[in-house]
Amino acid sequence: MKIDVKHIAKLSRISLTDEELKKFTPQMETILESVKVLNDIDTTGVEPMKGHIDLKDLREDIPGDCLAQEEVLKNAKYKEGGCVKVYGKIFGEQES
Amino acid sequence: MANLEKYDVIIGLEIHVQTNTKSKMFCSCPTGYFQKEPNTHVCPVCLGLPGALPVPNKRAIELCILMGLATNCNIASEIFFDRKHYFYPDLPKGYQISQYKKPICSNGYVEVPSGAEVELERIHQEEDVAKSTHHTEASTGKEYTLVDYNKSSVPLIEIVTKPNITSARDAKDFATKIRQIARYLNISDADMEKGQMRCEPNISIQEKGKWEYKDGKILPIGDYKLNPKTEVKNIGSITAVEKAIEYEVERMIEEIEEGKELKQQTRGWNASRGITEFQRSKETADDYRYMPEPDIPVIDISKEDIERIKKELIELPNEKIKRYVEDWNLSEYAADVISSSKESAEYFEKLQKKLSESMDDKDAATEASNWIMGPLYAIANKQGKDITEIGVNGDDLAQLIIAFKDGIFTKNKAEELLNESVEKDIDISKEIGKLKSAKESVGSLEDIAKQVIDENPQAANDYRGGKEASIGFLVGKVMQLTNGTANPAEAKITLEKELKK
Repeated sequence: MKIDVKHIAKLSRISLTDEELKKFTPQMETILESVKVLNDIDTTGVEPMKGHIDLKDLREDIPGDCLAQEEVLKNAKYKEGGCVKVYGKIFGEQES
Repeated sequence: MANLEKYDVIIGLEIHVQTNTKSKMFCSCPTGYFQKEPNTHVCPVCLGLPGALPVPNKRAIELCILMGLATNCNIASEIFFDRKHYFYPDLPKGYQISQYKKPICSNGYVEVPSGAEVELERIHQEEDVAKSTHHTEASTGKEYTLVDYNKSSVPLIEIVTKPNITSARDAKDFATKIRQIARYLNISDADMEKGQMRCEPNISIQEKGKWEYKDGKILPIGDYKLNPKTEVKNIGSITAVEKAIEYEVERMIEEIEEGKELKQQTRGWNASRGITEFQRSKETADDYRYMPEPDIPVIDISKEDIERIKKELIELPNEKIKRYVEDWNLSEYAADVISSSKESAEYFEKLQKKLSESMDDKDAATEASNWIMGPLYAIANKQGKDITEIGVNGDDLAQLIIAFKDGIFTKNKAEELLNESVEKDIDISKEIGKLKSAKESVGSLEDIAKQVIDENPQAANDYRGGKEASIGFLVGKVMQLTNGTANPAEAKITLEKELKK
């Protein structure tokens, strides 16, 4: 099963070298091959198994507690003015 | 001016509306993020932290259904959510929870003032993204973005029309109707400047007779090749919807006429320059890799749910217009203006009701409409407010109109009183009382005319001697004596009669 790893990488804003592409493409193809087994099963007439919930049982619209700002920014490598700071003009360009 | 005889304009609109809930779409964080300290209305769910699970907001879904009911849509009996993937700092999960093939509402329509029916393809529920602002670092010249996640996961509905809008005017009017409906039903404040409502038109021009509209799609006839469409973003007001489309239509026609080939693209509206600017070409289809959202079960909507939500429907602008025109003979234009906000329509209806105690229903509606459309809007426009915010009590205004209709004073005097009441905060009903008794005490117009002639023999003689202009002076005196309650035209006729005796 073929996969365009270059395209997938681009969508995820990941840059891969030609060597990496060569290395990862067969690996990912193997993964797809394994999962493909599922396609061979005949599911005609089988309803997708999914949990159901009634609208009336959903969460009521009541505001609750949030994280503190320091807590939120803990995971951010760069921050400024209470915001997360991200470098790059077009997002995904590798930060330097 | 572009050549519109040769081309048809085809427009589809995508309108995003933030709905009025207290908490976010998939978590309990409060929604009121406007001017709040950044990143204080967030939790692991709306930050997209690993392991956090979405819990749908019941009210948000009810509001989406309400919008669908108000726009004549079919409502699904099961709600499915899907993941729409793209990679951007304003979308911390790496996907937006949205709806793909099965929206909550589908196949609706909304009539616009031109009489056209704008067809709705769908209304689906999704979540808003974070707010990002772009900057350049002074010390290094590096570009960077600051991200505030307070807006992340605020409930958002997307209303998508079919491409059956045929003019910039209809597109603007449709956006206006959507905003009115959202406000009438408290679905959203729909303030475009605050980003609570966003309009993105898709525009294309096609040669007349070379295409057809079928099953919600634009199809070429014969071997005609359809022109690609442009999507316009960054529209910050309802009027800009119309302007941006007009500009874009003209631009596309010019390009074609110059022999250039149009390309599918996204353009941004530049409000200060009044033009659209190229943003990006859309040569390849977006690749969002939709997949069913596994973390949210299917939500079942029962008939009872729909009935319960239907109770929130109130008479909507288009229904009001129909009633005002059919029952009360109002012009379409007046009915449209008056019903533009719930508050204004309520004001009008209360005034009409009060007036109808003293005159017949239609006259009451005509008077109420004339006074609202005339003096009231004049005052409101001057103050930059809504007519319901300028402090004119409907009952006072009714008294004023009735007193004028009874001939206590002229229309000019009535308007003067109305203006004074706004500027000086005088009590209208007291003023009317004063003028009424003044009028009664000064006696008939004939007596006053006689008195004025006696007291101003010079002017009277001048008039009799052929100097007709001096009548103006005498009319002025009558007006003075009557505190402005006399009708100047009547005063003139009475004076002339008396002078000729």
